[in-house]
Amino acid sequence: MDESVRNLNEGVMGWAKFYRKGWNYFAFAMHRFSGLVIVFYLYLHLFVLSHLLSGPVTYNELVKTVTFGPFDSFLVLDVLLALVIFYHGANGTRLALNEFGIGLQKNKAMFIVFEAIAMVILGVFLYYAYMFIGAS
Amino acid sequence: MDEYTVEIKRTDVDGKTRMQTFKVPKDKVSTVLETLLYIKGYLDQTLTFRYSCGMEICGSCGMEINGKPHMACSFVLDNFKGDKILIEPLKHFKILRDLAVDIDPFFDKYKAVKPYVIRNDDGNYQKELLQTPKQFDEYIDYSMCIKCGLCMAACPIEGSDENYLGPAPLTAAWRFIADNRDQGKKMRLEIVSGAEGASRCHFAGECTEVCPKGVNPSFAIQKLRSSMIGLEFQKLFGGK
Repeated sequence: MDESVRNLNEGVMGWAKFYRKGWNYFAFAMHRFSGLVIVFYLYLHLFVLSHLLSGPVTYNELVKTVTFGPFDSFLVLDVLLALVIFYHGANGTRLALNEFGIGLQKNKAMFIVFEAIAMVILGVFLYYAYMFIGAS
Repeated sequence: MDEYTVEIKRTDVDGKTRMQTFKVPKDKVSTVLETLLYIKGYLDQTLTFRYSCGMEICGSCGMEINGKPHMACSFVLDNFKGDKILIEPLKHFKILRDLAVDIDPFFDKYKAVKPYVIRNDDGNYQKELLQTPKQFDEYIDYSMCIKCGLCMAACPIEGSDENYLGPAPLTAAWRFIADNRDQGKKMRLEIVSGAEGASRCHFAGECTEVCPKGVNPSFAIQKLRSSMIGLEFQKLFGGK
């Protein structure tokens, strides 16, 4: 590529620059970010679960070594993971509908409504998850 | 302060880049284009930029003003709070010199979508091609594009994939597909349905945000995608 073109092409890092841009760009940038977090979690999840192949002792040892502090650190990360999954799912549903031409003229309203519904469902999910942990 | 501090990113023919600052009296200029003309006329004759009509019709004076693509002619300084103006060439284009960029690759992409009415009768129709107001409304907004390239500079996908067709060419494709006189829908959908076509768009919407003519390219691309899906379904069920 020509040197001057390379200087002006922001590349993938440019995706993260949502300062002074519209709400749609914010939705886009957060969709990328949440997608990356979910992919990272998938591999982390498989890595942790793969220790089950070595037996319950090895698996429990691994879980103990990464769990520390007054709160269960994995639990805090799980809440953040649920947040990005719910965000990604709601925005992804909106985008899929928009691609079919559904709600295209009202896509900002759709974004707000879908995210609001996702956050309410997230709240319900976290409440029942908390009850489940409290009961165990 | 009675002066604007104008910082301009300058590039010489060898590709060397530097920032240069000018002081421009506020009472002498009202737009960024006038500011550049003042600098060229009174402060530095070597400053290079492209412009023509000065009234947001020709699409020549697109540039990054305070980090966002704008037309220099319609960026009114009275509406701008602050005394410092940062002016850079449009992103995602090759710089020729200073603020002038090479728009040839952009127009190559534009031509690729065949931006003209295609007729099966090769234009040898016997009577006038009439349109109802509703049919006219289907495409008129998209025909307002002045090919300024601001949407190409604002698009994050264009910044990471130089082969992506981009918002303006895709909008042009939809403008002619939506025109009831045109009969080249299938041909154009085949062109824009490639890996570097409409499916590359991630609906960031910045093209619509920066468009000086209110064309709304992001909507046009979503409509293209909807039509592409329809075409795929047709193929799936044996349609021609």
